[in-house]
Amino acid sequence: MGDTGADADMVGLTGRVTGTVGPGLVGEVIVRIRGGAEHFLAHPVSGTGRIAVGTVVTVVEYLPPRTVYVMAAYDN
Amino acid sequence: MAIGVVAGIVLAAIVALIGLFKLMWRVAEPNEALVISGSTHKTEGLGQGMGFRIVTGRGTLVLPGVQAVRKLSLDLNETQLSVDCVTHQGIPLRVKGVVIFKVGDDLVSIANAARRFLDQQKMMPERVHIVFAGHLRSIVGGLTVEDMIRDREKLTGQTRMACGTEMEKLGLIVDSLQIHEIEDPTGYIKNLAMPHAAAVQRDARIAQAEANRLATEAEQAAFARMAEATRDSEILQAGYQAERDKAAATARQAGPLSEAAARQEVVVQETRVAELEAHRREQQLQADVRKPADAAAYETRTRAEAERDARISAAQAKARETELAAAAEATRVTTAATADAQAVEARGIASAKATRATGEAEAAATQARGLAEAESAKAKGLAEAEAIKARAAALAENQEAVVAQQLAENWPAIVEAGAGAFGNVEHMVLLNGAEGMSEMFAKALTMGGTGLGVARQLLASMGQTPPSGTPSPAAPPVNGRIPIREE
Repeated sequence: MGDTGADADMVGLTGRVTGTVGPGLVGEVIVRIRGGAEHFLAHPVSGTGRIAVGTVVTVVEYLPPRTVYVMAAYDN
Repeated sequence: MAIGVVAGIVLAAIVALIGLFKLMWRVAEPNEALVISGSTHKTEGLGQGMGFRIVTGRGTLVLPGVQAVRKLSLDLNETQLSVDCVTHQGIPLRVKGVVIFKVGDDLVSIANAARRFLDQQKMMPERVHIVFAGHLRSIVGGLTVEDMIRDREKLTGQTRMACGTEMEKLGLIVDSLQIHEIEDPTGYIKNLAMPHAAAVQRDARIAQAEANRLATEAEQAAFARMAEATRDSEILQAGYQAERDKAAATARQAGPLSEAAARQEVVVQETRVAELEAHRREQQLQADVRKPADAAAYETRTRAEAERDARISAAQAKARETELAAAAEATRVTTAATADAQAVEARGIASAKATRATGEAEAAATQARGLAEAESAKAKGLAEAEAIKARAAALAENQEAVVAQQLAENWPAIVEAGAGAFGNVEHMVLLNGAEGMSEMFAKALTMGGTGLGVARQLLASMGQTPPSGTPSPAAPPVNGRIPIREE
């Protein structure tokens, strides 16, 4: 099944923000993984900006079990 | 027999093998995870695990008696929430909702959940309820009622912030948190909505009233139009009725009217007849009475006129007779006188004729003489005129030549006149030769008469430029011979 591999592969996946991500907030992103779509608690990688709902983000860091750090996939 | 036994044994062995395999081979269904413990090797899925491995979605070989296989359900679970809480404003509320959660699909979550809930999977909602109830109280305590009603995003965000990490520890994920109902024992929410409700009610009543007013206006306008239409219709009907009545009356009166018209016609004709009769009677009277009377009067008048005319004619005849007698007498006297007069006249006339004939003859003779004289004078005058004209033409052509000619013609008389000056001279001495002679001769000519001025001029001009081709009488004085001959 390669579960360890799948967990490592979280980094680099793209997802969509379903709850606003920002400093001081616990956001939520939904990512396609393991043949389905799962949501993860999300925090911004850097800075002060908020990432609005609907923005496409890239997973930069994955902290098991359910936390990811994301950044906006496309500037502007 | 032996074959049957062998076959039976083989079959039993096969069956036994299949049964053994079935005991050893376990398959994880899609909604469950197998947690296998009991062997230290093949710690698949958890690198540095706690001695168990997790299998999802496939089969695996398990040694019965050596390894223990437990199933952890990955199905959805739900927990009904009913939490008494107090808001930020101190208003007590009862929040009712539902939390839908499941075990996370990743191996870490499965491991966490397996350690916590493997034997207590039935109690999982209860635990989750406890966790959510506590967190919900604190979340609601930080919110106001208005926030909860109007800003669900804030509520879910805060819930996620508070519970997400907590659930992460338990290996659970919250798929949905829904607030079904917020019970409000103090009526705060109702009172909160009341101004809006009142405003809406007011607007609704206003709209209703406005609609009623418009409807009433429309109805009344419609009634007015109906009345108007009814009035117009009745007016039209009355008009038509009047026309019908009029037509009926006309029809009723048609009989008497035509009768009266016929009677009128009869009267007219009768009147006409009476008029004609009267006319006829008048004509009759004219013929019977007036014409005879007129004839009688005419007769009388004619007779009287005839008598008068006869008398006048008689008188006129008498006067005429007298007149004619007088005229005859006068005529006789006149005739006698006339005869005398004619005799005298005839004599006179004869005498006059003789005299006239004599005079005419003399006049003719005189006229003939006069005519002859006039003719001769005319001829002479014409000749002179011709000569003058010819001289004038010549003069116009060559004035000096003509003058010279004239002078030459009259030269003897001139010289004679000039010589007259020397008539008393006995001796003359010429000191200057021919020129002296000429000079003195010219002086003498000048003294001869005023008409000789022209000759003197001519001589003067001859002395300077003698004209060629002209017989010059001054030529002899050049050699000085002619004046001497004159002496």
